[in-house]
Amino acid sequence: MSGPLRVVHYVNQFFGGVGGEEQASVGVTARSGPVGPGRLLEAALGDGARVEATIVCGDNFAIEQAEQAARAIAAELDRVKPDVLVAGPAFGSGRYGLACALACRVAQGRGVAAITAMHPENPGVSSARREIYVVPTGPSTTSMQAALQALAPLARRLGRGERLGPAETEGYIPRGSRRVHDRGRPGYQRALDMLLAKLHGAPYRSEVPYAAPERVTPAAPIADLARARIAMVTTGGLVRKGNPDKQVSANAVRYHRHEVAELESLSPREWEAYHAGYFNHIVNSNPNYILPLSFLRDLERRGRIGKVHEHIYALPGVSTPVAVSAGHGRSIAADLKAGGVDGALLVAT
Amino acid sequence: MISAIYTFALTTGANRVVRGARIEHVCGDPTLSPEKDYAFGLRIVTTALETLTVAVPGPTLFDPMAPGKAEEAARAS
Repeated sequence: MSGPLRVVHYVNQFFGGVGGEEQASVGVTARSGPVGPGRLLEAALGDGARVEATIVCGDNFAIEQAEQAARAIAAELDRVKPDVLVAGPAFGSGRYGLACALACRVAQGRGVAAITAMHPENPGVSSARREIYVVPTGPSTTSMQAALQALAPLARRLGRGERLGPAETEGYIPRGSRRVHDRGRPGYQRALDMLLAKLHGAPYRSEVPYAAPERVTPAAPIADLARARIAMVTTGGLVRKGNPDKQVSANAVRYHRHEVAELESLSPREWEAYHAGYFNHIVNSNPNYILPLSFLRDLERRGRIGKVHEHIYALPGVSTPVAVSAGHGRSIAADLKAGGVDGALLVAT
Repeated sequence: MISAIYTFALTTGANRVVRGARIEHVCGDPTLSPEKDYAFGLRIVTTALETLTVAVPGPTLFDPMAPGKAEEAARAS
C-alpha cells in the first residue's frame, strides 16, 4: 500500500491542552495534526505515518453525553477518513478509559481500525475489551513512552488492514475470543507432553487459560431482619407449570421475573423445574426446595422478617458463559435494588 | 447463596454461602417425614437469613448443621 498511514488521535481535555478537571465537560473539538502526546505517538509510529487530526473531548462529556460525543467523533472520522484511530493512552483514568473505548467502537463501527492503551484495571477494559484492542499500560503517565512504543507497531499494522495474531504473542489485553487454527500437532500429543512436563516438574502451559473469578465486596449486614424486605432468586430452572414462558433448560439468555405477592407457597400444580443440569423430579413434587417461598411466608407471619418481596427471579443456571451469567446477575441485582429489597436469598442447584 | 455444592460457590466468590441439603432438593429432604423435611428446610433458610445480618470479610461458609461454628469454618482459599 502506498502513501503515508493516516492516523486520527483521540485525547481528553487534559492531554488536548484544554484544561484539567474544570474543563471535563467540554464537547468534542478537532485539531489539525498532533497535539500533546500525539507528537510522541507520531514519533513512535515512525516514517510513513502521520497524525492527521486530533479529536479532543472532555471526559465528563464523553460519558454523560455519550451519544452526542459518538456522533461528533464519527463526523470527524468521516471528514478525515483515517486508516486507524488511536485513542489515549488513558492509563488508570477511568472516565478517560471509557471515553477511549467509546472512540474505538465508533471508529470500528465506521470501518476504521482502532486501538487504545490503558491500565488493565481501567473500567474501559472491562467494558469493551471483547470488542476493541487495548494495549496494557502502567497506572500513570510515567509509562507514556513504553505505552506508545507498544501501541505504535500494532496501530500501524491495523491501519494497513492486517489482522493481529493472538493476544499473548501480540501483547494486547486478551479479548476472550477464539479462532480456529492448526496447532500442528493433535491434542492428545500436546496433552501428553503437558502431562510429562508436569510429572517431571518442568514448566508447561495449559491451553485453557484460567479466568480468576470476579471478587465482589460483601454487602453490609442488615441491621434488623424484622423490618427487612427479602427477595428470592433461583438458578434451579423454576418455571410455571408447562413452561408457558418458553424458558430454555440450559444456557439461558434471559431470566424470568414472576409475581408471588398472592402466593403462600409454590404449588407443584403451578410450578416445576426445567433445568438440564440435575434431576428435576424431586423439585417438581415440591418447588419450594429451590425457591423457599413457603418458609419465608412462615417467617414473615412470625415477624422474623419484614416482608417477602413480591417478585421472584428464575433461570436455569447451567452451561451459561460467565459473562452472560454476570450480566443476568447485574440486571437482577439492579432490579432488586430499585424494588427496595434489603436482602436476597439465591438458591443454586 | 444457598447451595449443596457450596465449594463452587466459595471458590467463585459468593460472599455468604449456606450449605444446602442436596442438588436435587437444596432446601429440605424428601426422604424425611414431612414435618422433619419442613424443619430441616426452615433451618437452612433461617441460617441463610442470619448470614445477612453479619459482616463477612469475603467468601464464608455457614453450615446449618453446625451452628455456632459457622464463620470460622472453611473460608475459601
